[in-house]
Amino acid sequence: MPNTRITEDFLGFGLGLRTDHFEHILQHQPDIDWFEVLSENYLVAGGKPRYYLEAIAEQYPVVMHGVSMSIGSSDPLDMDYLKALKKLSNDIQPKWISDHICWTSIHGVNSHDLLPLPYTEETVKHVAERVRIVQDFLGRRILLENVSSYLSYQDSTMDEWDFLSQVAEAADCLVLLDINNIYVSARNHHFNPLDYLKKIDPRRVQQFHLAGHSDFGDYVIDTHDHDVPASVWTLYQAALERFGAVSTMIERDANIPQLPALYNELLEAKHIAQITLPDDPALARSQFGTRSLDDLGKFISANHASPQKVRA
Amino acid sequence: MSRLAEIQQQFMQYLLSDGSDTQHGHIQSVMKANVSEQAGISANDRLQIYANAYRIRLKETIETDHQLLGLYLGDDLFDKMAADYTRQYPSSNKSLRQFCDGLPKFLQQDAFFKQHPIIADLARFERRLLNAFDAADCARASFSDLQAISPELWPNCCLRFHPSVQIFTCNSNAVEAWQALKIDTAPPTPDYQSSRAWLLWRGELRLTEFVSLTTEQHALLLGFIQGNNFADQCEQMLQWHDEQSAPMMVLQTMQTWFQRGLIRAVVSK
Repeated sequence: MPNTRITEDFLGFGLGLRTDHFEHILQHQPDIDWFEVLSENYLVAGGKPRYYLEAIAEQYPVVMHGVSMSIGSSDPLDMDYLKALKKLSNDIQPKWISDHICWTSIHGVNSHDLLPLPYTEETVKHVAERVRIVQDFLGRRILLENVSSYLSYQDSTMDEWDFLSQVAEAADCLVLLDINNIYVSARNHHFNPLDYLKKIDPRRVQQFHLAGHSDFGDYVIDTHDHDVPASVWTLYQAALERFGAVSTMIERDANIPQLPALYNELLEAKHIAQITLPDDPALARSQFGTRSLDDLGKFISANHASPQKVRA
Repeated sequence: MSRLAEIQQQFMQYLLSDGSDTQHGHIQSVMKANVSEQAGISANDRLQIYANAYRIRLKETIETDHQLLGLYLGDDLFDKMAADYTRQYPSSNKSLRQFCDGLPKFLQQDAFFKQHPIIADLARFERRLLNAFDAADCARASFSDLQAISPELWPNCCLRFHPSVQIFTCNSNAVEAWQALKIDTAPPTPDYQSSRAWLLWRGELRLTEFVSLTTEQHALLLGFIQGNNFADQCEQMLQWHDEQSAPMMVLQTMQTWFQRGLIRAVVSK
């Protein structure tokens, strides 16, 4: 477990804030530790989304997660977008801001997808320089998340984990490790996901994402429309062993269940963390699940936690 | 051009191109040359995952933003509209919220869809609803704010409206069709006999609302939005009312606007 993490904010166990759950959260105030908000959904002047976001941000820690920074694009950085992001962060005071290590737009046209980058020295230099500019502008370190990918470029000269590590080091940024994305890419590119975990500097890992995917046998698509599957729970356990207690959240973007169902899924994440890191003092700071402690037993299956350590 | 820029340009061309593009085969093979062959599935199939995702994501955005237009068109015409619009109007915005901003214009200009102007009107109306939904927030004035102003100053008073307030005009019964579809009933036959005006706004409870406007209500609201004062608007109402009843009509209408939360400030000049 790292004892020299670059920042010490362990937020506990969170969920992605989705419109379907706004009312439930305000009415029932579940003891979820924190929420991740999709920045682009709130870059609007006002109305219901901003009203709910501001009401929820008053009661819970929030982090901002973007999909349009296009940090790897060869287009100039979009300063209007960054200004809007900075304004939103001034308004809701997120604990941190993240986006993806990818590109989304070129020549002003947005694919609205997280497209992979060629893993080369040229790209490392290009992305790291842009991350530094963004961080200077926002006045804080940002987190970069690994994306799931379905193709590799002929030009790539290094593995994805080396690319991510080199960018993080050169830009002095933090890492949002998406455990599901590692699994999805590992299946699509035939690498060992534990190799990925081994190469990431634990000091830089600030957040985990957990999610579900669609498995088509020969390939896997990152759909965020299923429960977290056993394969991702297993990899999560390995990540906990390597990185220690890291702020963890579940992303669900389609086929979104009622909040209590996601709450129960998040209890599974906390339970796995507790049995993997029984002596970690950070976990004791998480309030999530304590309000319903009496009922905890019936929610937790613990089927996905291995009694044996999964060595990363 | 850097190699990174070259790959990104070729990838984007690949995503934007489809079977209707005469260069499609060439664009595909250029992009395919950038992609490694790996076990499992072919480079072509790997690229196709991205092409499918691109089109599905944008189509879902149109479905979300224009649900009742989708019902009006039916699946086949909706698919045609989504494919043609996506091809002609690639997204240039950071958020998908703006992706369909060009849809009314596309529907007005497209050789096929412009034959049925009600379709573009429906799209334009749904854009207005979305604009009202996430327009800026601000405090709202009440009738007592007007009453607090000395009556001799009223003739020069102007109104400032809530940012969500919008007027929608059209020459079809698009809104009536929208309303019918909203309650799962068959829309009326298209009717282009008269022009219609609607007022849209987001109320205190953050619900988007709309009401139809008579010709005089439309003129009254439009005049105030354009900055005319109370005296100007009373004079304009003389087209429909006599000198006694015109100010009363203006005051009564303003009272309704205050109640609905349409007015953010009364400005006494």
